[in-house]
Amino acid sequence: MKTLKYLFLVSLLVAVFIPASSMAAKAPVVIGLQGPITGPWAYEGEMAKQSCEIAAKLINDKGGILGGRMIELRVVDDAGEPKTGALAAQKLVGQKEVVAVVSTYGSSVCEPASNIYEKYKKVNIGYGVTAVRLTQRDFKYFFRTCGRDDSQGKFFADNVPAKFNAKKIAIMHDNTAFGKGLAEDTERALKPMVDAGKVQIVYYDAITPGEKDFRVSLTKLREAKPEVWYYTGYYAEAALLVSQAREIGVTCPFVGGNAAINNEFVKIAGLDVAKGCYMTNEPLPADLPYDKAKEFLNAYKAKYGDIPSSPWPIYAADALNIIAYTVDKTGSMDADKLAGYLRKDVDGVPGITGPIGFTDQGDREGVPFYIYVVDEKGNIVISK
Amino acid sequence: MDDSNPSPVRRLHLYETILLFAVPVLFVVYPFAVNDYYIDIGFYFGIYALLGLSLNIVLGEVGLFDLGHAGFYAIGAYTTAILNTKLGVPVIILIPVSALAAALFAYIVCSPIIHLRGDYLCVVTIGMGEIVRLALINNFLGLTGGPNGVYNIDFPSFGGSFVIDSSIEYYFLIWIIVGVSIVGLIRLQHSRIGRAWNCIREDEVAAGTTGIDVRYYKLLAFVLGAALAGVAGNIYASKLMAVSPESFTFWESCMMFCIILIGGMGSIPGVLIGAAFISLFPEIFRPFAMYRMLVFGVVMILMMMFRPGGAWPRRRGGADLPSLFSRMRKSHDG
Repeated sequence: MKTLKYLFLVSLLVAVFIPASSMAAKAPVVIGLQGPITGPWAYEGEMAKQSCEIAAKLINDKGGILGGRMIELRVVDDAGEPKTGALAAQKLVGQKEVVAVVSTYGSSVCEPASNIYEKYKKVNIGYGVTAVRLTQRDFKYFFRTCGRDDSQGKFFADNVPAKFNAKKIAIMHDNTAFGKGLAEDTERALKPMVDAGKVQIVYYDAITPGEKDFRVSLTKLREAKPEVWYYTGYYAEAALLVSQAREIGVTCPFVGGNAAINNEFVKIAGLDVAKGCYMTNEPLPADLPYDKAKEFLNAYKAKYGDIPSSPWPIYAADALNIIAYTVDKTGSMDADKLAGYLRKDVDGVPGITGPIGFTDQGDREGVPFYIYVVDEKGNIVISK
Repeated sequence: MDDSNPSPVRRLHLYETILLFAVPVLFVVYPFAVNDYYIDIGFYFGIYALLGLSLNIVLGEVGLFDLGHAGFYAIGAYTTAILNTKLGVPVIILIPVSALAAALFAYIVCSPIIHLRGDYLCVVTIGMGEIVRLALINNFLGLTGGPNGVYNIDFPSFGGSFVIDSSIEYYFLIWIIVGVSIVGLIRLQHSRIGRAWNCIREDEVAAGTTGIDVRYYKLLAFVLGAALAGVAGNIYASKLMAVSPESFTFWESCMMFCIILIGGMGSIPGVLIGAAFISLFPEIFRPFAMYRMLVFGVVMILMMMFRPGGAWPRRRGGADLPSLFSRMRKSHDG
């Protein structure tokens, strides 16, 4: 009788624990998202949250990862503020089940937060953090899916001279921190080609923003006979510059930086002048040609009515995707293994924003930029 | 305000004595009982307590409306950040240096505006705080790093052997500083300076006619307040290892103002209550996201309606250390 009782107890225990242990195997894989849910960038945080939810849902609908485990998103708010960001990071590192974190929107918020992730060994992937220095710190667990402030200059050097078959390049900036920075980055990126004698920088100068008549500078530019002309400032001056340049007979293609051309530019310059002007720009969500992008944007649109209006949330979704991919491939939750795999083995993995890979510092490899052009109707479209 | 007891030193109630001993014990035990996240919340509580104490000198003791206090905080943080990263000066040495830099800035900037009263002073201090922040954003003298700020600040260390780098060590660092400041400020409240400050707060003209150098004492309050805010800036910068202008917005000045209003003007226990409210409340209510500030606002309004003097208003000769000691000595001379 006693034996029977024990047997009963044991079988009861087994009955309780077997489902529990099989449930444990199917426990969700928790991925953190640190973003500005409140504060001045709340709309960015909200879109990042929605994007990550959609990305997680797409993975879960296909059966999850690691043979059926679902992705669970855990959102913490950093209010777009460094102090709160550090607290948010501290909160996430205290939760052992969080495998890795998508973090975060602003560079100055990311800085203290990534210090904490590094200290507590948690992989963190930034999605809107473009300050160059973030990946100059030899951090082991920090990555980013977005580009850096100097990616655009590099993109220009790699693509624009080839596209226009140009050997003589003019670079013009406006002495603002942004415009000058981009011009300097571009010059730096062109340097190897200049040294090899492939291209020549025939003009490098600044204009004064706010002025209305740039003909003196433009005459100098015309005499330098450039074959392509890159302006790194803002649209208000860019529109006047192009109009006046065409008047005095500068005929070479105009390429603006990502602040130079928008609908206002087309309005100020007029369609006749504006059409055929180029710009280097991060791809807008609607322009992404990848299958994953179409799938993601359709799902997003179905749920929220429209696609994200900013380019950054899709980088957050990509960060989540790549974390899920890495966990799935390595079958591990260990931060060292994940970081090692991200650095060494993730290469050309299809993402929403194009193939994803990371450099040794944790920067995105082959950051997506595109050459856009103003078409006949004044729309800004990808240049074929 | 309980003015029924004219004696400057009042006997402590039993519960006050218990509080006086229980609260410090609680602060010491707390970090050993919780994880790093809660220790960090305790740390930021300490930072806000220090900032509250510093603004309390200006706003609470002297009644000067200062809505630009984040400016002094920023000066302290950036002094630490720049001197540490550019010249490699140890962070611990920079504590007094940051205090001095913020104090000097307060002296220079406040000298010409110190005669302004009430709202007028308030408006000028708002401008002052904003100018500091904008100067930081515009990469002042090429030193402040623009919107990205200054980064790679060291941890404080004592002679290179004992380095403060964990949450719990920072927690004790800030609370030791807060503790020392509280003792100093209580002494100050009971000194000639403290009485002169309160006198100016109650009636500036009367204070002037009794021979108090109003201008001098007002400036002194600003300089001391700025110095303490500078210390808070130093600790904050080394804790985050980076400073950026987002941390020193007008909002931050408002928060400090709220600490004083919630706690009670000129009341040191009140500052602690206010700082606790300001630092813990947003964390507790973070899940409510956008409704957080709505609730916050409602609580503030209710507070103003039902306890206009603050949660723990200052009573003349209230529950503080000297009165405790005098109780022990059974002495009644203030």
